[in-house]
Amino acid sequence: MTASVQARPRARRTLRPRFAPYLFSAPAVVLYVAFMLVPVGYAIWLSLRAYRLVGGGILGTRQDVFVGLENYVSVLTDPELLASLGRLAVYGLIAVPLTLGLALLFALMLDVPAVRAKRFARTAIFVPYAVPGVVAALLWGFMYLPSTSPFSYLTEAAGWGTIPFLENPTLFGSLANIAIWGGVGFNMIIIYTSLRGIPTELYESARLDGASEVQIALRVKVPLVMPAVVLTLVFSLIGTLQVYGEPATLQPMTRDISQTWAPLMTIYRDAFVTDDLPAAAASSTVLALGTVLISVLVLAIANRRRMEDAK
Amino acid sequence: MRSRSTAVVGLVSLTALLLSGCSSTGSGDGGPVTLEFWSWAPNTQELVDIWNEENPDIQVEYTDAGGGDDSAAKLLTANRAGNAPDLAAVEYTTLPSLIVSDVPLDITEYVEDVQDAYTEGTWAQTTFDGAVFGLPQDVGPMAMVYRSDRFEELGVEVPTTWEEFREAAAAVRAADPNTYIASLPPGELGFFAGVAAQAGSEWWAIEDGTWSVGIDDDESLEVADFFQSLADDDLISTEPLLTPEYNKKLNEGTILSWPSALWAPGVIESVAPETAGGWSMAPLPQWNEGDPAVAYQGGSAVIVTKASEHPEEAAEFAKWLNASDEGSELVLTKQNAYPAAIAGQELAAESDPPTLMPQQTDFYEIAADIASQTKPVIWGPNVNVAKSTFEDQLNKAVESGTPWRDAFTATADAVRDDMRETGYEVAGD
Amino acid sequence: MTAAVSPRAVSAPRRAASASRRGGILPTIVLLIGAVYCLIPVAWVFVATSKAPSELFSTFTFAPGTGLFGNLADLFAYGNGQFVLWALNSLLYSGVGALLSTLVSAMAGYALAKYEFPGRKLVFYGILAGVLIPGITLAVPQYLLLSQLGLAGNPLSVLIPVIISPFGIYLSRVYAASAVPQETIEAARIDGSSEWRIFRSIALPLLVPGMVTVFLLQFIGIWNNFLLPYIMLSDQSTYPLTVGLFTLLSRGSGSPALYSLAITGAAVSIVPLVALVLFLQRYWKLDLISGGLKG
Repeated sequence: MTASVQARPRARRTLRPRFAPYLFSAPAVVLYVAFMLVPVGYAIWLSLRAYRLVGGGILGTRQDVFVGLENYVSVLTDPELLASLGRLAVYGLIAVPLTLGLALLFALMLDVPAVRAKRFARTAIFVPYAVPGVVAALLWGFMYLPSTSPFSYLTEAAGWGTIPFLENPTLFGSLANIAIWGGVGFNMIIIYTSLRGIPTELYESARLDGASEVQIALRVKVPLVMPAVVLTLVFSLIGTLQVYGEPATLQPMTRDISQTWAPLMTIYRDAFVTDDLPAAAASSTVLALGTVLISVLVLAIANRRRMEDAK
Repeated sequence: MRSRSTAVVGLVSLTALLLSGCSSTGSGDGGPVTLEFWSWAPNTQELVDIWNEENPDIQVEYTDAGGGDDSAAKLLTANRAGNAPDLAAVEYTTLPSLIVSDVPLDITEYVEDVQDAYTEGTWAQTTFDGAVFGLPQDVGPMAMVYRSDRFEELGVEVPTTWEEFREAAAAVRAADPNTYIASLPPGELGFFAGVAAQAGSEWWAIEDGTWSVGIDDDESLEVADFFQSLADDDLISTEPLLTPEYNKKLNEGTILSWPSALWAPGVIESVAPETAGGWSMAPLPQWNEGDPAVAYQGGSAVIVTKASEHPEEAAEFAKWLNASDEGSELVLTKQNAYPAAIAGQELAAESDPPTLMPQQTDFYEIAADIASQTKPVIWGPNVNVAKSTFEDQLNKAVESGTPWRDAFTATADAVRDDMRETGYEVAGD
Repeated sequence: MTAAVSPRAVSAPRRAASASRRGGILPTIVLLIGAVYCLIPVAWVFVATSKAPSELFSTFTFAPGTGLFGNLADLFAYGNGQFVLWALNSLLYSGVGALLSTLVSAMAGYALAKYEFPGRKLVFYGILAGVLIPGITLAVPQYLLLSQLGLAGNPLSVLIPVIISPFGIYLSRVYAASAVPQETIEAARIDGSSEWRIFRSIALPLLVPGMVTVFLLQFIGIWNNFLLPYIMLSDQSTYPLTVGLFTLLSRGSGSPALYSLAITGAAVSIVPLVALVLFLQRYWKLDLISGGLKG
């Protein structure tokens, strides 16, 4: 159909379909190149360099010199990297399924026509996303630390003692909880927006066939929002690999979170605390490549399953 | 069409700019100069306003750039891009690493005339190899603040040596099982470095161009053993400081002291104002009875950056702020800090005690005694590496019950490795 | 045909009438539990705001205090009313940034969803790959780059980098794919409308609900963005709220951390965000746009 229209272009059209998509995406592409690609290129260049001492004096001054893949070697041979990926795996196994499951559940519930207090619930679940990280740190300090935690207050009153929120292994649950709390609203909105984009007629016919709301949700809605769910899954996995806020928030309050607990904490430390930008750039590159690998893997599996379902 | 061509032009010019690496151009000579100044001390704006009124030709613009660590990171980044301010406050611990990153200017020629305003030890904090890289603003001679009311209630003597500190800690635990004499957590590198220096250790030292690292010398390892034994016997807490948990305990009166420095009263007051009147300050416990020398913990200096186009004027302002009678008085009264300049410290001796301990009228007399006994601490170019390794390693040791001295050794190794990798000559173990 | 593919708007009244209230109890309960879970910690921020500095660390965590008005007065008096300036800056950065970002995303999303063109996949997956790069990694190179352009320290340095949002573009594409019927576009083409006119008068109105989501997420993202403005800006009068509140909390050792002020400031800064969510929710209802189909 598109082809037939393009075959008969009209003279007075100022913007032809051939150029239109390029013009429409031009601002995005230009900004993308300028503020993401170029900085990434710069980071990669930086990752091949190191700050080394030149000149005399007691302290001397450091200048950056080319060191090739030296930074990559030290990143990849750092046992902490593997250990931190292991910690992320445990954390991700709790946080990702719960965040997505709850987000999908809430989005479907919001889409039930008869549900009440929709506006309130939608806003309430979304609100944690609006709490700035600086405050989240204090907030969770109060929620988790034994002498200020209202939960430990209750368990202690019941004679069970305080809850060791900030000690291994409970720590993983506590960290995941912050991620779930902060992320459910965001993911819910994404899935909900996707639900709202689906033509209602698709449910109407199912409804006329006598399907219940639960059946409609599971058989019609879920498959239709599956692409959105898969993408939020990919985003959540990326988010897990890039987790920083939750552990960094709690780090000053507990012994069980080291400054290299998550890869991004190491990167942050290198870039902003120990002034080793090249090391930070090298770790970032490794992390980004690993993320690409995982994303591609997840998308490939999702695509294959969709193909199989289609058969 | 238009939007596409502008986009292309934009992209091209962007690339051109990137390649050319243009540098900022300065304003012309003559006329009033404007200086940018980053700091984080409270009420700095008021001080700057006073200066600006008196000096129409040298106007200072103040920016609150966040606390010590963060503003150092920001300063490094800005310096790399050629946007560093003319002046910046920096902590003594980060000054060497900033020098190595080529941020501060050698201002010896501009500030030599105010050397007399400081004691030798204070002046040494910003002098490296004969070159002065900043003017000390405030110092933190180490001292112990403690709950004198609770000590009395529990019948505990104020310790004057660390051995007595152990006895006092045990007495506190015996009298009230919910209470600890203090929390000394692994995150406090400054404290451990300070008490190790008090014991005679030099964590960084340089001789004939070769650095030596003393984080794992005998004195330091003994310090490690001592505090480990306190922790092992459950005589001190090792919970992090100033978390909501810690603050609550300060308020409840279940943490009874904070061995730290003269700035501690202000910090405690900000989280536990209701406990004012219950606190007192005493000299830090000694390792050897009769040896009152203590180290510094914390404190900051003001540097002039290499990026500054008006270093002389900038140094002028720094001298007024830190070394003059007027400036050091303001540092004391407005910023609630213990001034680095002698004039400010003398003035302090006549001042009222901090509001946390209004009953201790001899606070600043004791403070002056302590300050006159402080010995300088030399910080190395990679204190940040030491701090992050130390915290992680010591946390691990506390958690897993391995010897604390191993954490000290691991930190020393990491610091040496990092210095060697950067290109310093480092003495072998 | 056009109506049949349109979003649910057209049939909304029908559906409301046919839907029974019976099925609503369980979902309502589920949602309310979720709401309580999300709100309890947020409630603490407001409880803490009511506590005077002396009560913050001494009374029960959820016990309201007596210092609400004192805290508010202190907050607005701090640094000669600096808080208001920070709030206005945040509003400016978030409002303008999110608006531009939404437009750029909508245009790109529409192009990617509704046109077949060489390079489409490259553009889409290229931009999508942007989410793989952590913001922490980008901040320093972006700063050095904007310094070269002479923009570091300028509010533009906070505004421009946030306009590009891979997530916003992805969302716009997904939404455009289902919300803008291909038939309507074809019909308009046959009528002789230019591509720009089709986008502006037909597609854009249909995209509004999706754009509202993008706007909201971007607005909050920029509002809470800390690292980029912290590194970019060095003039206090251009700080957004996050950086301002951070300077309150992060005094070096020796100076009182202004806890109560920072918490009060945070609570006050959450209020406009909640108001924004509530306000924008009406645009999530698609009834508004049914008229747009005629174009």
